[in-house]
Amino acid sequence: MKPSEFALRVENLSKTYASVEAVKNVSFDVQYGEIFGLLGPNGAGKTTTIRMVLDIIKPDSGNVMILGGTMSEKAKERIGYLPEERGLYEDMTLLDTLVFLGQLKGLSRNEARQRVEKYLREVELWEAHERKIEELSRGMNQKAQFVAATLHEPDLIIIDEPFSGLDPVNTRLVKQFLYRMRDRGAAIIMSTHQMHQVEEMCQRILLIDHGESVLYGDLEKIRQRFTSNAVQVELAGEPGQVEGVESLKLENGGYHMLLKEGVRPEQVLKALVNLPDITVKRFEQVEPSLEDIFVQVVSRQQAQGEVV
Amino acid sequence: MRKMWLIAVTTYKQQIRSGTFLFLTFGLPVLMVIAGAVPILAASRGTDLDSFGYVDQSGKLSPVGQISMEDHTYHFQSIPDETSAKAAFRQGDIDGYLVIPTDYLQGEPVSYFANDNPGEGLDMVFEDFLRRALLPQLSSQTLQRLNDPAKLTYVASQSGERVAEGPALIIHFALPAVLAVLFGLAVMFGIGQLGAAVVKEKDQRAMEIVITSLRPGELVAGKILGMTLVSLTQLGIWMVGGGIAVALAVSGSVDLSTLTIPWATLFWAVLLTVPGYFLFATLAAGAGIIAGESQQAQQLAGMLGFVGLLPLWMAGVLLEAPNSPILVAMTLFPLTAPTVILFRMTFTAIPVWQLLASFFLLVASLLVAVWAVTRIFRAAMLMYGKAMRPNEIWKALLKA
Repeated sequence: MKPSEFALRVENLSKTYASVEAVKNVSFDVQYGEIFGLLGPNGAGKTTTIRMVLDIIKPDSGNVMILGGTMSEKAKERIGYLPEERGLYEDMTLLDTLVFLGQLKGLSRNEARQRVEKYLREVELWEAHERKIEELSRGMNQKAQFVAATLHEPDLIIIDEPFSGLDPVNTRLVKQFLYRMRDRGAAIIMSTHQMHQVEEMCQRILLIDHGESVLYGDLEKIRQRFTSNAVQVELAGEPGQVEGVESLKLENGGYHMLLKEGVRPEQVLKALVNLPDITVKRFEQVEPSLEDIFVQVVSRQQAQGEVV
Repeated sequence: MRKMWLIAVTTYKQQIRSGTFLFLTFGLPVLMVIAGAVPILAASRGTDLDSFGYVDQSGKLSPVGQISMEDHTYHFQSIPDETSAKAAFRQGDIDGYLVIPTDYLQGEPVSYFANDNPGEGLDMVFEDFLRRALLPQLSSQTLQRLNDPAKLTYVASQSGERVAEGPALIIHFALPAVLAVLFGLAVMFGIGQLGAAVVKEKDQRAMEIVITSLRPGELVAGKILGMTLVSLTQLGIWMVGGGIAVALAVSGSVDLSTLTIPWATLFWAVLLTVPGYFLFATLAAGAGIIAGESQQAQQLAGMLGFVGLLPLWMAGVLLEAPNSPILVAMTLFPLTAPTVILFRMTFTAIPVWQLLASFFLLVASLLVAVWAVTRIFRAAMLMYGKAMRPNEIWKALLKA
């Protein structure tokens, strides 16, 4: 039984470096049995937030409740972490490294050895267990780090860009692994730039920009809020600049157009019809992709920042 | 505690399997033995010579046909002039000849003509020959006594401790200095490796994973403990190897039952060198944390080592004025205390208050160093490939 439904609760977390406010009053919570997406452009404050959650750096203000309490040595043993800046001991063998990291998470040597074998077989890496870390390919290294973060079967897993360096086959392997962890009841925080992965895997998200929380909540509900802001259009001819369109890209033989804030789809349809040498063959309002939402929100934030 | 020990054991295993450790531990002593043995072997070539002539221009020497030293007999023949001596030498009748000048008794030097350097052994043979030739009336026993007029037994006026001349006395006086040198070697080799190991830990970027499993202090302490065990292993191998070599060299010529162990010296040596080493190791770990790259860490650790080894270069002051104010100050200064105290023990009796004050200052400094390094570590562990600036160090010390 979990003492609380939340694996993590963050309240008004802030951190300032010199004169830069890296994180400003960020609040969110993560439940057991969910994959939570932590999104944001580079330098938005995602990694700083994660490091404060993990007590690697101290926040200037705010509270972190993790696994039912404040961070403790016991809690550390129930957390798995795959950082963005990652590496392993290059002159140690894969087996020795993972057994060592498992022991640091409270496993006995024998238990760690058995788990390492089981997990390495699962991610198809057991054949390399006697090899030194420096001899592994980037993808193998990535999978090894993934095993290091999960072999103690933690209740909270925090993974930063888990799919970078992985080919599609291994990406699927790692995803299945994460689903199994989630189904076991673990809370998973996934920080990534790969929006399609978030769309596919996460139930809830937090979008941070310039250290501030700009979108937070259930992904479906967020999508619904942005529904009217994207259209799928099939045209005869090159449209060029279209009035009321924030951005457009070629997709499935047509154009996926993201509308500017406050612009309605019929206004864009009218603008397209009025364009010379353009014939509208199909015009359809679509749910925006997470990437569209991301671009739209971040652009808006940037525009506000410039005005300020 | 369990995790600190795990870090220590893993660090230890990693290091003793490294090529650097194997070279420093086994390769370096072999090279040193070779370097030391070459001149000895070269010098020992002279001992094959056993037939000499002498030209007595002073007229003060009595004839001596032969002398025996240890298992060798050396023959001497008087030759009237240098020309004849040179001819006999060229014909191979003699291995070399001495020319005793007219003003020999006034201090004029004796010349030795030969193809080979006489070496240390032959010097003693010639000195014995000249003593016998100058004092023919003395009995062999008296002459032997003249060569070695007294076997002294040193008695400490305060403690009444008695140490007889010979190997026991050498151990009594040399042991503190030998321990000081060994401590210096351990510091010199150990802390450089420790600084580099901490930088490597940062470079490999495993820090962020490890630090989410234990306290920063446990990681730093585990690294220091592991590297200290590496140094102790290295020292142990050198000491055992050196001990076996010395035992083989003196076997048969020294009665081991006459040797006594100076327990008081050993007690203070352990009491001072253990916290002393940990202080250096902690500061070296701090150097590794502050440094951006291993070369810089080794330079910083090298500077620390220089301070620790400073007393080795002050042998003159130590010999002439072991209780001078500067040496008392260095006795109390934690970084120089272990070596200075061990060296001073060789030449003087150090007041107990100085030893106790030094010990407490050492332990206090160690605690402060551990506190400071842990704080700096927390701030610097994620600065990959980047050195900490002085103002950043200061901030880290002030802020938790």
